[in-house]
Amino acid sequence: MSSTVKYLIERSTIYLLTIFISFTIIFLVPRLVPGDPLAVFYDRLREAGAQQGVEQMIEEYRRLLGLDKDIFTQYVSYFYLVLRGDLGYSIGHFPAKVSDMIMSALPWSIGLLSTTTILSWLIGTLMGAISGWRGGRFSRALSIAALFLSNMPYYILAILLVFLFAYTLRWFPYSGGYSVGVTPELSLDFVLNVMWHSFLPALSIILSSLTWWFLSMRSMVATLKGEDFVIFAEAKGLPQKEIMWNYAVRNAILPQVTGLALSMSRIFTGALITEVIFGYPGLGTLIVIGITTLDYFLIQGTILLSIFAVATATFLVELIYPLLDPRIRYGGG
Amino acid sequence: MAGTSSKGKSRSLIKSLILIRRNSKVTYGAIAYLTALVLSAAVLTIYPPRSRIIGYADPLLPPSPQHPLGTDILGREILALLAEAAINSTVIGLIAATIGTLAGSIIGFLSGYYGGKIDYVLRILTDVFLSVPSLLFLILISSLVRTVTIVQMGLLIALFAWSWPARQVRAQALSLKERDFIYLSELSGESRLEIILREMMPHMIPWMTANFVNAFISAILTEAGLSILGLGPQTEMTLGILLWWPLNNAAIYRGLWWWWLPPVVALIYLFFTLYIVQLGITEIINPRSKVI
Repeated sequence: MSSTVKYLIERSTIYLLTIFISFTIIFLVPRLVPGDPLAVFYDRLREAGAQQGVEQMIEEYRRLLGLDKDIFTQYVSYFYLVLRGDLGYSIGHFPAKVSDMIMSALPWSIGLLSTTTILSWLIGTLMGAISGWRGGRFSRALSIAALFLSNMPYYILAILLVFLFAYTLRWFPYSGGYSVGVTPELSLDFVLNVMWHSFLPALSIILSSLTWWFLSMRSMVATLKGEDFVIFAEAKGLPQKEIMWNYAVRNAILPQVTGLALSMSRIFTGALITEVIFGYPGLGTLIVIGITTLDYFLIQGTILLSIFAVATATFLVELIYPLLDPRIRYGGG
Repeated sequence: MAGTSSKGKSRSLIKSLILIRRNSKVTYGAIAYLTALVLSAAVLTIYPPRSRIIGYADPLLPPSPQHPLGTDILGREILALLAEAAINSTVIGLIAATIGTLAGSIIGFLSGYYGGKIDYVLRILTDVFLSVPSLLFLILISSLVRTVTIVQMGLLIALFAWSWPARQVRAQALSLKERDFIYLSELSGESRLEIILREMMPHMIPWMTANFVNAFISAILTEAGLSILGLGPQTEMTLGILLWWPLNNAAIYRGLWWWWLPPVVALIYLFFTLYIVQLGITEIINPRSKVI
């Protein structure tokens, strides 16, 4: 068996296993925990003043949601539902389908995370290339700062930004995706309003992730600077700029591109805690709504989608990257 | 500073532990962290337990001589809460990191040392756990197990803390078992157990320590993250819960800085001291990696 085939089989096994194990855990965990998923709903109906027929209603919901069948039947039917892209109904917002709720939150998360991921990659890589090539005291100070920042939890950064820019300076709004009273439409006003609201969440994500790109690019370029082919180019008398871009950066960029591809897979998970801190209407906030209303199907659906998307994207990148970088061969350790 | 050679043939267990201790970053970082813990313990003995219960003082008092860090919305003494939180978060970190590192090291070692089918199965298992977004699973589990205790929280986080140590230790074991000095000890008739304990372990210790510190940091941060989402141990105080309260009550916008600032500062402090320890250990493993 060639090493390529072996690599493909192994990666596919890991991918399918990840999906299967995740699916099973996501299905089983809620059912292993004592307690009734409909209890909250039941309480809410009671609070709303419903006296008669509550029991029958709950039974009807139980039947609708398939909770009255045995666990194996539930597993199989949940599996088929998910295959068809049907994630069931939300318990907390009953007539609403989980897939619809996810669909309305998804654009927010994808928009925020794809923009910030690409921007932080561009800025970080560029700064890293220049700093790694130039060296010197300033570049060293910059990398020490980046080292500390890169390890600071991103939600701490978010809290400090809110305090500084939203509370103290009042430059940006506290929370939300757009102003109250503005209707979502495709107009310049709305787009500007959304951008104004997403600025702080975006800034906190960019600041904490660009340091990683900066550090990896910097060390890569700094290492390449000592390579024979760079020294040879210098001996040939090529201008510094050309050596930097065509010799050092060009060789250092490959791992960065792979890294970018891998982190793009994360855009489907939502920026969980950042979204909560800024009240941003994405997947992270949706999960929190699910948590506070004990909405199993909503939590299940959102997490299932995230895990599926991340695993699929990672799988694709792993298949492609030996093609991108000829130095990496399929197989090996 | 600690210049080491990884070639050392008969480096004993004790020797590698001494090396770790002798590194100044490890020492200072650890001392700074432990100081915070001792101070927390002192605060807890000075303030009565009821200072951490609802209605101890008036709610939302700004810092004053009577209440050095002010009080929270329930009239609890923030300084006392902070001390309790620091200790509880440390306990969560210790539980998760100890279990995660031990389990991960054993799995990684078995996988790397024995190879073959065991290796294949364990490696795929490790890869599956590495590629799963663990925070999402933790959210799922802890949103269903409504009330978690400190210990349960530590155990939950440990569930996902073993995969990274496993991968690293496996790589170490793989490269170690091919070295000459291991062959030599095999030829000189040492038993398998002796080889593992006397020849290989000393080389693993720095790596395992690095993994431990890593797991410790990320466990504390994971707990904080889960708690901010409202999934922390509700009945006890942790740094995450201490941060959840002000965030959930819009403390930043209401200008109640003394409420949200202490947990933020504490997290940054604990985090930086541990990070310095981690830098020191990285230096021991790879002396060329010195950055600062």
